Amino acid sequence: MDAFQGLMTGFQVALSLEGIMFVLIGVVVGTLIGMMPGLGPISAIAIMIPITYGMDPAPALVMMAGVYYGAVFGGSTSSILLNAPGISGTVATAFDGYPMAQQGKAGKALAIAAISSFVGGTVSVVMLMLLAPALSSVAISFGPPAYFALMFMGLTAISSLSEGSTIKAMIAAVAGFMVVTIGIDPQTGTQRFTFGNVNLFDGFDFLIIALGLFAVAEVCMLILNRKNRSLSDDQKLGSLKLSKADLKEMSGPVSRQSFVGFLLGVLPGAGATIASFISYIFEKRIAKNPEEFGKGSVKGLAAPESSNNAATSGAFVPLLSLGIPGSGTTAVMLGAFLVLGVQPGPLLMTDRPEIFWGIIASMYLGNVFLLILNLPLIPYLAKILSIPRPLLISLVIMFSLIGVYSISFNVFDLYMLLVFGALGFAMRIFSFPAPPFILAFILGGMMEQAFRQSMTISNGSLSIFVDSPLPLSLLLVALVSLLVPAFLKWRSNRLAYKQR
Amino acid sequence: MLASINRKLGLLLFIVAAVYLYLSFQLPNYEYAPIDADVIPKGLGILLLVLSVFLFFSRVAETDAEKAKRNIPKKELGVIAAVFAMIFVYILLFETIGFIITTALFIFFCSWFLGYRAWKTNILVSLLFPIVMYAIFVFALGIVLPRGILPF
Repeated sequence: MDAFQGLMTGFQVALSLEGIMFVLIGVVVGTLIGMMPGLGPISAIAIMIPITYGMDPAPALVMMAGVYYGAVFGGSTSSILLNAPGISGTVATAFDGYPMAQQGKAGKALAIAAISSFVGGTVSVVMLMLLAPALSSVAISFGPPAYFALMFMGLTAISSLSEGSTIKAMIAAVAGFMVVTIGIDPQTGTQRFTFGNVNLFDGFDFLIIALGLFAVAEVCMLILNRKNRSLSDDQKLGSLKLSKADLKEMSGPVSRQSFVGFLLGVLPGAGATIASFISYIFEKRIAKNPEEFGKGSVKGLAAPESSNNAATSGAFVPLLSLGIPGSGTTAVMLGAFLVLGVQPGPLLMTDRPEIFWGIIASMYLGNVFLLILNLPLIPYLAKILSIPRPLLISLVIMFSLIGVYSISFNVFDLYMLLVFGALGFAMRIFSFPAPPFILAFILGGMMEQAFRQSMTISNGSLSIFVDSPLPLSLLLVALVSLLVPAFLKWRSNRLAYKQR
Repeated sequence: MLASINRKLGLLLFIVAAVYLYLSFQLPNYEYAPIDADVIPKGLGILLLVLSVFLFFSRVAETDAEKAKRNIPKKELGVIAAVFAMIFVYILLFETIGFIITTALFIFFCSWFLGYRAWKTNILVSLLFPIVMYAIFVFALGIVLPRGILPF
């Protein structure tokens, strides 16, 4: 099936009545949850997963994808209006968006964000459509050693690119991997770390981890910040209209950063947050008047907004064509695939074209919906920011509990949700990043399997990972990505230490 | 010796790694598996052991932002502990008393406890949310939530 035919299949899914409905549900829910400061796309996806039980996989996944990019789209609204980023991918949006809103041009800022996001998202879907099938057809020949090396590279990349200490990020990744070893080993049937507890035989469901480590932990942070102001009723948005000069000023950054964002999204470990910062710095460097940045610059707002949305679609490339997520959020997306019995990877395009192409085609549609939602309807949508914090906290707790209960009907899992919630909160307090943990948890089982398959092929010799060029080069990249930043940090610390 | 927070965390993680590693060595072996179930856990245990030592001896000073994150007033920690206790009681009663009643009580008291004083809206939300969710899950999605002492 060539790409054109595939895309037609995809549009049949996306443009069916059911398809349109679920894209719409996905992007609306994503936008609303993404807007809530403190609740990120991981929580949004995890909370929505129970809704998909028993649904057809194609519309269900079209909806889940919508939740994801909808959350990134919606995150900008609270960055601009409250200076409280809805998600970490829109932190850079607040740099210029909030000053603009303070100057009484909130409407203009929202319009710039919406249009930049739309262009970034759409350009990126076009590239996703071109790149994902190509990568799929290459990846089909990958053996277990290459897969193991790829996943290993993903984990080292996310650890070295995480905010703060690389050691802490690596500890988080190892801990996530350790948690997935709990349960009956699928290959030998050995019970590992179950202490004979029947509830642990199947290990932890990923939803417990995702909701605990993200939704419940985010609730704890919301409790700490519950007295922060929410949107007051009398805040004026101002006109949403953009002048021709504004559009002209946006065109440069938007067209450049859509590509930058996409590429950073494809790479493992980067994603929307890093993409938005890099794009912001990029545009500031090349701008004729960099001093305007941070004071309400049109360029400074357009750059991160086009970039973070482009990165979001870019992140679907490794997920759809390799079946390997490169970030915490796509790890949870992979979980959503697996819940529905769909295994993403090189075979997805040929075996389930309606899902592969359906998701891609639905993103065109979803971005149009998001533009409509975020331009004319934004004054009404922004009202959700005035929900009182205490009520929001109680409701998110309830959504998390219902979500976990509806996968297992087991009260034990609810207690575990509480345990992982506490762990997630502790990780936030002590500055251990949570995305490496969830990525390692999702990849851990697959990595162990790939490792053992490789070792069975080679009869127990580790040389299988260095004998062929692909695994070897991937492992080298992984090593470099860990050692170089660690070395640079070590050197700068040593200098600082000596000076003291 | 345990002056910095990284030292304390390093020590804690060292103990976790040691316990995990000890348990990994207790795993049974099978003769015919080339790579047995204990290989990866042992590797992970050793890795965490090494990383915890690195963390213990790392000279990286905590940034002010990190320190601020850690510095939470005792009272606020008490509030979070109280919310966790409420969730615990909720889970305890959830299956016997039933979804609708426990959820309504939880939302009302949790929101009230966190400082929401508009009690009319609070009662309305506390009643509507569980009923709507129950209807969606049980009737639309076919996921059975505990009925408890209510007849429907």
